[in-house]
Amino acid sequence: MKRYALTVALPKGRMFQEAYEALRRAGLPLPPIRDARALLHGEEGGVALLELRNKDVPVYVDLGIAEIGVVGKDILLDSGRDLYEPVDLGFGACRLSLIRRPGDTSPIRRIATKYPSFTARLLRERGWVADVVELTGNIELAAVTGLADAVVDVVQTGATLKAAGLVEVEVLAHSTARLVVNRQSLKLKRSLIKPLIAKLRERDGGP
Amino acid sequence: MIPEGTRFLLPPEARLKAELQGRLQALFLRHGYEPVELPALEVYDPHHPLAARAFKLVDKTGEVLALRSEFTTLLAKLLRPHLGEGVHRFQYAGALWLREGDAELGRLREYTQVGLELIGVTGPKADAEVLHLAFAALEALGIEGVVEVGLPSLVGEVLRASGLPPGAKKAAQAAIHRKNLPELTALLARHPVPEEIKKALLALPDLYGEPEVLQEAQALPLPPRAQAALAGLEATLALLDRPVLLDLGMARRYEYYSGIFFRAYTPSFGLPLLGGGRYDGALLPQAAGFALGVERVLEALKPPQVEAPPEVLALDLKALRRFAREKRVELFHGDNPVAYAKAKGIPFLAEGERIWEVP
Repeated sequence: MKRYALTVALPKGRMFQEAYEALRRAGLPLPPIRDARALLHGEEGGVALLELRNKDVPVYVDLGIAEIGVVGKDILLDSGRDLYEPVDLGFGACRLSLIRRPGDTSPIRRIATKYPSFTARLLRERGWVADVVELTGNIELAAVTGLADAVVDVVQTGATLKAAGLVEVEVLAHSTARLVVNRQSLKLKRSLIKPLIAKLRERDGGP
Repeated sequence: MIPEGTRFLLPPEARLKAELQGRLQALFLRHGYEPVELPALEVYDPHHPLAARAFKLVDKTGEVLALRSEFTTLLAKLLRPHLGEGVHRFQYAGALWLREGDAELGRLREYTQVGLELIGVTGPKADAEVLHLAFAALEALGIEGVVEVGLPSLVGEVLRASGLPPGAKKAAQAAIHRKNLPELTALLARHPVPEEIKKALLALPDLYGEPEVLQEAQALPLPPRAQAALAGLEATLALLDRPVLLDLGMARRYEYYSGIFFRAYTPSFGLPLLGGGRYDGALLPQAAGFALGVERVLEALKPPQVEAPPEVLALDLKALRRFAREKRVELFHGDNPVAYAKAKGIPFLAEGERIWEVP
C-alpha cells in the first residue's frame, strides 16, 4: 500500500469533473487524470484521487481510507454514516421526490427506491405501512410497470419523469454536492484540510 | 461456525491480547483502580443507552435479558446504593456484545474493553487524573496516540440558552455534530435566536485544533455556564500539561456528558482507540471514566506475525519442570533435538538439572 499526503474520494460521472475543478481551484494539488480508466490517480507522497460509485464515497471516508470526499446530500441522507459535512459545494443540485402515476391516490403499499434507509425513515415518520423494494437503476419503471405504487427517486429537471408519464407528488429533500471529511482526519490532517474548507466556503461568499 | 462480527485469535495474537490487557490492568491498579466484575447478562432496560443495539434473550421466567453492551451504566447502578462519601476508583475488563455494528475495521459485535471509572470527585484535578491515565494507557501499549478533548456541555449550554424549540435544538445539535455550517446557518435563519447566541453557535463547529481555539472561544459572547465550563477545561489542561487536540464543537450526547469528552486516535488507523468523559449527574452525582477497545488496539499495533521461539528445549520432563519456572520452555518430542533447536532458533537445550547452549 502506498502512502499519500491526502486521499480524496470522488464519485464517478457527472459530479466528478465539477468536484475536481472546485477542489483544484481551492488550491488542493490534485493529480492530473492521465489514464481515464485508472481508478486511483496520484503519486506516492502527494494527493491521491479515488474514483468511486457515489454510494461508496461515504464508506471510504467513514473508514478513513479516504480522508475527504465529495458526494451528493441525497447519498448522505441514505448512508447513515457519521461524517463531517462542512461545505455545501452548490453544484449537482437535485431533489429527492415521491413519484406516482398521475391521479393515483390509493394508499401506498409498495415503494421502490435506490434510497432504502431514507425511504424507510420517511415511512416511519409518516406512519405509512409499506414494503420498500430496493432497486438499482431506472426506478421510474417500477411505477410505470406497477411493480410499486410509488417510487422515491432523485429528480433533476423532471424530463425523465415527464417522458415516463409520471408525476412528482412531493419533494422530500433537496440535495447538492457536499464536502465530507473523516472525523479523525479533520483533526489529524487539519493543516491541509482546515484551509481547504475555508477556501471552499469562500467560493460563493460563505456557507 | 462463528457469526459475523466475532473473531477468533490464535498465537501470537491471543497471547498479545492477554498481555496488552494485563499491562493496562496493572497500570490502572498501580493508580489505585480496583478491579470489579460484572455479569455478562443483565435484565433488559429500555432506558439503557444501548438498549436498541444490545443482544436480547428470553429468561426462563419469560423476562427479557440483554447481553452486556457496556460497563458504565450497570456498574453505576449497582454501585449507587453502596457508595459512601469519598473518592472511589474502579476498573473493569471483559467482553461486550452489540447486535448491530458493522464488522468493518475493528467494529465488531463481540469485543473487549478495558476501562476505569473515577467516582465521587469532580473538577479540573479529577478530569486531569482521568486524562493522564488515558495518556499513560497509550504509553503502556506503546502507541503513539493523539488525544482529542471536547466539551459537549459547552455546546449544550449555548443550545439551552438559545431558546430553540426542542425539534430545532436537536437539528442544530446534529448540524453542529457534522460541522455542517450551511445547514446550521439555514436553521438559525428560520428561528428567532438572540444575535450573540447565533454568533457563538456558528463559531463553535470550527473551533478545533491547537489549544489556541480555547482563547478564541473565550472571546465569544457565551452564557455564564458555558464560560465556566471553558474555564474548567483551561484549568484541566494546565494541570495535565500534555499536548492535546481540542474540538469545542463536539456536540455528542451533551445531555449525558456534563463536562469533557475525549478520544484517542493514532495516525493510519481509522477508528478511535479509547473514549470517555465526565458524566456528573447522569448515573452518579460525580463520575468520569474511559474505556479502550482492545481489538482496535490490536489492529492498530499490527502485531508481528512471527512467533518468538521458546528459550529452552527440554529433553525430559524433569528439565521442563525445573526450567519452566523462569523461562519459556518447550518439551522435545522426536529424534534430533539439536537440528530441531537450530531450525526453530531455540538457544538452549536442557536435560534434568543441566542446561547448555545449542552447539
